[in-house]
Amino acid sequence: MEAVNIQFAPATGTEEEWNEAYARLADYFRSYQLHNRIRRTQLILETLRNAAKAHAQDPTRTPTAHSIEQARLMLREWLGSIYSDLNLSEAQLEATGRLGFHLAGGPSRWPQFFLDEKNMPDDMAEAMRSAIRTSGPGMQVSKMTPRDIDLGMFTDVADDTFDRLGRHPILRYSVLIIIVGSVLGYLYSLFG
Amino acid sequence: MSAAPIGSQTANIAMTAGMPPKHVSRTRRATFFSLVGLGTIVGAWLSYIFLSENGMRISEWALLFVFIPLYYQLNVGFWTALFGVWLMNRPKPDPLNLWLSLSADDYEQPITASTAIIMPVFNEDVTRVYEGLRSIYLSLEATGQSKHFDFFILSDSDKASQWIEEETAWLELCRQLKAFGRIFYRRRRKQINRKSGNVSDFCRRWGKRYRYMVVLDADSLMSGALLTSMVRIMEKNPGIGIVQTFPKQIAADTLLGRVMQFAQALYGPPFMAGLDYWQCGEANFWGHNAILRLAPFIEHCALPPLPENAPFGGHILSHDFVEAALMRKAGYAVRLLPTTRGSYEEGPPTLVDMLKRDRRWCQGNIQHFWLLFAKGWHPMSRINFLHGILSYVSSLLWFLFLVLATLLAATPTPHVQPQAILAEHILLGVTAMLIFLPKTVILLDEVITGRMFKPLRLRFLTAFSSLMDTVVFTLMAPVLMIFHSRFVVYTVIGKSVSWVTQRRKIDGGVNWSEIIFTFLSVTLLGIAWAVIGWYVSTKFLIWISPILFSLAISILMAAMVSSSRSGRRLGLFLTPEEHEPPTVLKTMQQNLEEIKDRIPLSPELERHYGLMQVCLDPYVNGLHVSLLRRRRTIGVSDTYLKEISHRLITQGPQSLNAQELKALMHDTDIVTNLHYRIWSAADHELAPFWATAIRQYNLASTSPFAHTLAKQELEPAATL
Repeated sequence: MEAVNIQFAPATGTEEEWNEAYARLADYFRSYQLHNRIRRTQLILETLRNAAKAHAQDPTRTPTAHSIEQARLMLREWLGSIYSDLNLSEAQLEATGRLGFHLAGGPSRWPQFFLDEKNMPDDMAEAMRSAIRTSGPGMQVSKMTPRDIDLGMFTDVADDTFDRLGRHPILRYSVLIIIVGSVLGYLYSLFG
Repeated sequence: MSAAPIGSQTANIAMTAGMPPKHVSRTRRATFFSLVGLGTIVGAWLSYIFLSENGMRISEWALLFVFIPLYYQLNVGFWTALFGVWLMNRPKPDPLNLWLSLSADDYEQPITASTAIIMPVFNEDVTRVYEGLRSIYLSLEATGQSKHFDFFILSDSDKASQWIEEETAWLELCRQLKAFGRIFYRRRRKQINRKSGNVSDFCRRWGKRYRYMVVLDADSLMSGALLTSMVRIMEKNPGIGIVQTFPKQIAADTLLGRVMQFAQALYGPPFMAGLDYWQCGEANFWGHNAILRLAPFIEHCALPPLPENAPFGGHILSHDFVEAALMRKAGYAVRLLPTTRGSYEEGPPTLVDMLKRDRRWCQGNIQHFWLLFAKGWHPMSRINFLHGILSYVSSLLWFLFLVLATLLAATPTPHVQPQAILAEHILLGVTAMLIFLPKTVILLDEVITGRMFKPLRLRFLTAFSSLMDTVVFTLMAPVLMIFHSRFVVYTVIGKSVSWVTQRRKIDGGVNWSEIIFTFLSVTLLGIAWAVIGWYVSTKFLIWISPILFSLAISILMAAMVSSSRSGRRLGLFLTPEEHEPPTVLKTMQQNLEEIKDRIPLSPELERHYGLMQVCLDPYVNGLHVSLLRRRRTIGVSDTYLKEISHRLITQGPQSLNAQELKALMHDTDIVTNLHYRIWSAADHELAPFWATAIRQYNLASTSPFAHTLAKQELEPAATL
């Protein structure tokens, strides 16, 4: 295993900012389920060193932002070498690669080779390549066309009536008033 | 013994196999409907004799008019139950029983027919959906015949967080079960035509790959043994288009749920047998826990919209009845499969949930009014539509009957002729018999035969539970009558229903405000009616008091049945599935228990868990982007998406509405960038939600995908 070299002296940025960047990177790499703490520490330091160089050139951005950007660049390079034969956009490459690493069991089987382009084991790269998934089997498209149901004459008449009532509010309310009036009239005749 | 596997036998079997012979169907229906008709005519005649003693007034004609369909419905239920009990007790099994089409040899044959098991979901509890699916999958594996079954989760969920949780649960389940390429997940971008549209979409994309399709609901559970048997039955009966099982209710923990599942377990099988007796090859499809022959389904069962707009017209809500009718119209039988084990579902936990479901069903059934008169249906399909409509309209008729009875009591005419008084007494006696005799006979059958329970103690507990369930249903019936009447009126005057997720469990006990809000009007109606009854006559008030009492106490009753004090400790309302859970149910329940024990995050993080994961977790983010279909982003939407993604980061998920969150989650670049932008931002640039999430989310689970699932890895030689 490569020795952990803690030498880190950024030329720009405050100690507080770099501590924040360190903490965020630690959380970030933990989100990859890398339980190998030594490898995680190596990665954090390597990323921080790259971020320190980037921060020296562009101090307007925070060390945290530079650190995550460097981690992303490292990931993209690493995945690019694994999936070089696939025609993938950047977003797809990152997505496919991250998922591939998870499905291949990378975090538990090869944590020490995560983002390590130089010492990449062949079986890991192969496992990551073969782990690409899609959401369904090959489609066999068929037509499912609704056939008209002949609803018959009664329905046509009812349909027309509803349609006519719908278009003529005065007619609609007249029908309603006649019905209500008839009921009330009947009740009056009963009790009157 | 033939060595040919199931699947290659179809060619040697008559293509009409499974369609009951016409003479049998005709004889059965003639017998059944003669008895129903006779009962209805006798009831109507007795009623007429009583009412017409002093000549018929308009209100008396109206009473008779609403009485006839109600009495018809009572007779249908009565004779269905009695024929069912007779079928279950006759010495020889029913020759039409589909199980008889399988011989002992058939069970030994391997299955080669391809079957898709589909589960359409819409914002359902992710854990329940996937744990249910896991149990079905394992049960099917245990049969050794699972090779030709594929599973599809067909999501129409429109909540962003839900969508991500479904994806992650799918991946984790596939990983745990080693089922990649066997379980598939598909989410529709546009939820056209609800569940039937979801199923049609599956049929269009993948239908040709499969000979059969088993449709499940999100709360369905089916055993592998039953699933393989259903495929074997379809293979031996090419004349059948749909086989519908009887899904028994399970997993209830409120009083209402347990009473319903008890009643269904006790009275359901005879009613199913009775339905099978007279429905023959023209049974109904209930939309789930059924197997369908895909080729005719694709060719003949696509649903056209109905004329006019919702609620009467438009998209067909209760699609299942119509699909069954279309399948029959195409010449294929639709059959019921008498089953007491292997097919399960969950019911609504509270009265409010039950009413929400009924509101939807009511509109769906009333829509079928258009189809009653359509050309080309088998007459039995029309009867099925009519019964569906009557099941809700009858509530309105009961209500009108009671109103008219109140009116007549207020304007009494003397009944002195012995003939009229005798008719009244006979009518009351016959009606009581129609209502109570089926339950009594079924209960006696259980006490004598012990179909549900062998130990005598449990049989007597069942008898006592049956008495108690009669009390609960008697209290609920008038309240249901009022609500169903209201739903019918709403539908007729054009108030449509929205598509809501069905709640299956309640958390946090009885929701009093919801209950009071829902039932206050019913209570007031009951009190007002009682006051009117008091003025009308004391005799009338006593006669109608059971109904008015139920209405007046509807708030208390709704609270009582929603409570988790369900009599379980006393052994009441016990079902065979509670007493001895089948393996498929036990597996699911154990896994759900495991999930309950996990440590929850803060409520806000839990609420947006999927969204948090897709933004923070590199693997979940990768999964989601991988499953998205790539599309071109146009300039305008690009600007809009950037604006809302900035709002998501700086103000948190609560600052975006459901549409905005969904729009973000559909864009691959935005989703990828969100991941890096949130991790890159300093704490003060982030909404408090994200700052908390970054600190807490690594604690949620050892695997980013396992939060909603049990950690049950499949052992190499797992047998369940």
